[in-house]
Amino acid sequence: MRINEHPILKFERGKRIKFSYNGQELEGYENETIAAALHAAGIKELSKSAVLHRPRGFFCAIGTCSSCLMVVDGVPNVRVCVEPLVEGMVVETQQGRGELGGAV
Amino acid sequence: MERFNICIIGGGPAGLRAAIAAGSAGAEVLLIDENDRLGGQLIKQTHMFFGSEKQDAGTRGIDIAQQLVNKVQSMTNVKVYLRCAALGLYDDKVLTVLHEKKYRKIRAEKFIVATGASERMLAFPGNDLPGVYGAGAVQTLMNVYGIVPGQRVLMIGAGNIGLIVSYQLLQAGVEVVAILEGSPHIGGYLVHASKVRRAGVPILTSHTIMQAIGTNAVQAAEICALDSHWARLPGSEKTLEVDTICLAVGLSPLSDLLWQAQCRLTYIAELGGHVAWRDANLCTSEPHIYIAGDVAGVEEASSAMVEGELAGLAAAKSLGLARVDVDTAMSQAREQLIALRAGPVGEKIRTGLALAQMRGDEQHA
Amino acid sequence: MRKSAEVVIIGGGVIGVAIAYHLAKQGCRDVLVVERDYLASGATGRCGAGVRQQWGTEMNLRMSIPSVKMFESMNRDLEYDGDIEFKQGGYLLLAYTEVGWEQFQKNVALQQQHGLGVRLCTPEEAKEIVPHLNTEGLVGATYNATDGHCNPFHVTDAYALAARRLGVEIQTFTEVTAIRRSNGQIVGVETTRGPVATKTVVNAGGAWSGQLSAMAGVEIPVRPERHQILVTEPVAPMQGPMVMSFHHHLYCQQTPHGSFIMGLGDPSEVAGFNQRASWQFLEEMAQKITRLLPPLRGVRVVRQWSGLYEMTPDRTPILGGVPGVEGLFLATGFSGHGFMLAPMTGVLLAEAILGLPASLPIEKMDLGRFARGDLFYEPSVV
Repeated sequence: MRINEHPILKFERGKRIKFSYNGQELEGYENETIAAALHAAGIKELSKSAVLHRPRGFFCAIGTCSSCLMVVDGVPNVRVCVEPLVEGMVVETQQGRGELGGAV
Repeated sequence: MERFNICIIGGGPAGLRAAIAAGSAGAEVLLIDENDRLGGQLIKQTHMFFGSEKQDAGTRGIDIAQQLVNKVQSMTNVKVYLRCAALGLYDDKVLTVLHEKKYRKIRAEKFIVATGASERMLAFPGNDLPGVYGAGAVQTLMNVYGIVPGQRVLMIGAGNIGLIVSYQLLQAGVEVVAILEGSPHIGGYLVHASKVRRAGVPILTSHTIMQAIGTNAVQAAEICALDSHWARLPGSEKTLEVDTICLAVGLSPLSDLLWQAQCRLTYIAELGGHVAWRDANLCTSEPHIYIAGDVAGVEEASSAMVEGELAGLAAAKSLGLARVDVDTAMSQAREQLIALRAGPVGEKIRTGLALAQMRGDEQHA
Repeated sequence: MRKSAEVVIIGGGVIGVAIAYHLAKQGCRDVLVVERDYLASGATGRCGAGVRQQWGTEMNLRMSIPSVKMFESMNRDLEYDGDIEFKQGGYLLLAYTEVGWEQFQKNVALQQQHGLGVRLCTPEEAKEIVPHLNTEGLVGATYNATDGHCNPFHVTDAYALAARRLGVEIQTFTEVTAIRRSNGQIVGVETTRGPVATKTVVNAGGAWSGQLSAMAGVEIPVRPERHQILVTEPVAPMQGPMVMSFHHHLYCQQTPHGSFIMGLGDPSEVAGFNQRASWQFLEEMAQKITRLLPPLRGVRVVRQWSGLYEMTPDRTPILGGVPGVEGLFLATGFSGHGFMLAPMTGVLLAEAILGLPASLPIEKMDLGRFARGDLFYEPSVV
């Protein structure tokens, strides 16, 4: 949920942009991270742990805890808590370790 | 390969002040930060600073950050790279970075590592559930992106961070159900504790979390009271309905880069974890690497800034740069640090620093 | 720490603890292992963790084939609670020159004589085994399915725990400062935690074994040489075998965890104890491996480090006793392959120390061969 009124801070949000999350169209803002946009849309589960498949969410917000690895535009293991949101991005939940793409 | 006199890694309070000090002394400086804005944790601090450091008392962290950023941007010999993450620091004085997603190399005569600290984790069942956050992450969500973490929060830890973040949650319109503190005493300043108490938030000392409950996200937390030996008091268990558990259980220096650069590190509990040995000028066992701020020992933003200044001056002086009266400025910075760490509150830090520096001196001997 | 021991082993790498275990298993339990740092802190914990049997000399084959057998049953044999993570995904060795290809054909003939199920492959067959391999310039390859990868920390731990259960004492953060001898007989060692009386010392000091031998007045031809490695983030399993090219001086393997471990030998590396990592390695490795295995372009590097090979003139280990110094045994000079040869080394050294019948003609690998000019010259080293 987004804060609209704050006693001290004013949030200067960027342009409103669309992106896809597991096939569903969502909206976020330019200049925010993928994780922030997902969180604002009410999505708390970002990944499943590789071995026990436990749900994992937003935790450290500085790209160190590996709790938010997702597939972004086909690239696995993207730390969405530090990756800026871009118009038209395709964001997907990662299955296991993530397949390495790329042509031979 | 770009060349600089001094490269500073981390644009938080320590790194900013290091850049200003080194720049003022006449050095060609590069300041890098992996985020898209400077200021580090200061940009999330909506409260006013106080304490013994006179110059910033009464100023909010976000405003201090802006003043420092303005100063850095006004200096023609200080260059800033944002979205620039340090990858490796090598003994031929080359730093590899990922800048705007491109790999590149930077050569500098001296480096100042001001990478700060990261949050500690607490071990309890369910601590990996979505809805359990580090306090820094909650601050980022709320104060940078304007997004609340949830509706009902349980805060773990009544140190300054736990108290301040609780107050910030209240400011954002979020309910803080309780603040738990394992020890019998509130660790943070009384001013902060009073503010949240006045807002009706209970601070439960000698209490801890037993588990986070939920299937796909936190739905509740089970808590209990502790006796004087930190053992669970039978019958004291309670379940709180919360959707957010925020961990504010301390910080550890982010010393990865120092490990990689093979600086000599040692574990000093008083400083929050593994820290580099350093001399009186904050120079590590690697003569081209200095440290400042939380990575040198977890303290407060005010002392981080003075350490940044000292490291910046010392690094510049080691290169023979002295546009300003470096010696006077360095002794003033040392005096400020002594004042900031005076009294019973600073005792732990003083003990830790004595260890880190004593071993550092042995190392150089 | 005990004040005397029947055998003192210097070096807590995989070689030292394997020898300790096999000594104790043969009934010699009054054994002390001293390690200057922590277990596996030297070359063992820094190695590429590959296990191969595709060698070009008889002795390396006779060491490596039974070692693989021992890795296969190690969890059980050592009653290890953990898992040594032995993955037999094979080794694919690549030849890029006619000279290299001829050598491979000779090697394979010798390997097959020793019962190894190794085969020669055309570039097309190689690509079937590793579909993402760029076969440009490839002349041929050899493939052996029972080679693989194993976790060096777990193997060291497994040996150390088993040895301790049998009564071996292992002391870490304990440095040997002197080796005492009297009339050509070892009589003890001095350590940073006091002296230990002993008549038998095993030098399993890896890159530092030259310095250790010198303490006993023995010069050995080992040359410390830095080799660098990097590891990537884990991705879904996509590469079974270790891919290795002597021509490019490189190897690359995907671990069971999903990360890729790869290394590069630098022919211009000077002898020394430098254990730092360099950005030059990172760049060269990245360039070479993405040409050879193009999809690896998309994988992120998470860490790099280096370790020391202890090279001998013929790139073959130095094992066994030393003429003229009664009680001094060498288990060194592995030239980058100590981890994979450790199981058999443990067996052979225990036999040599205890005067038991030898499973292999270990005397061929003695220190004396350099004076005799009786060298092996192993052709297959990165």
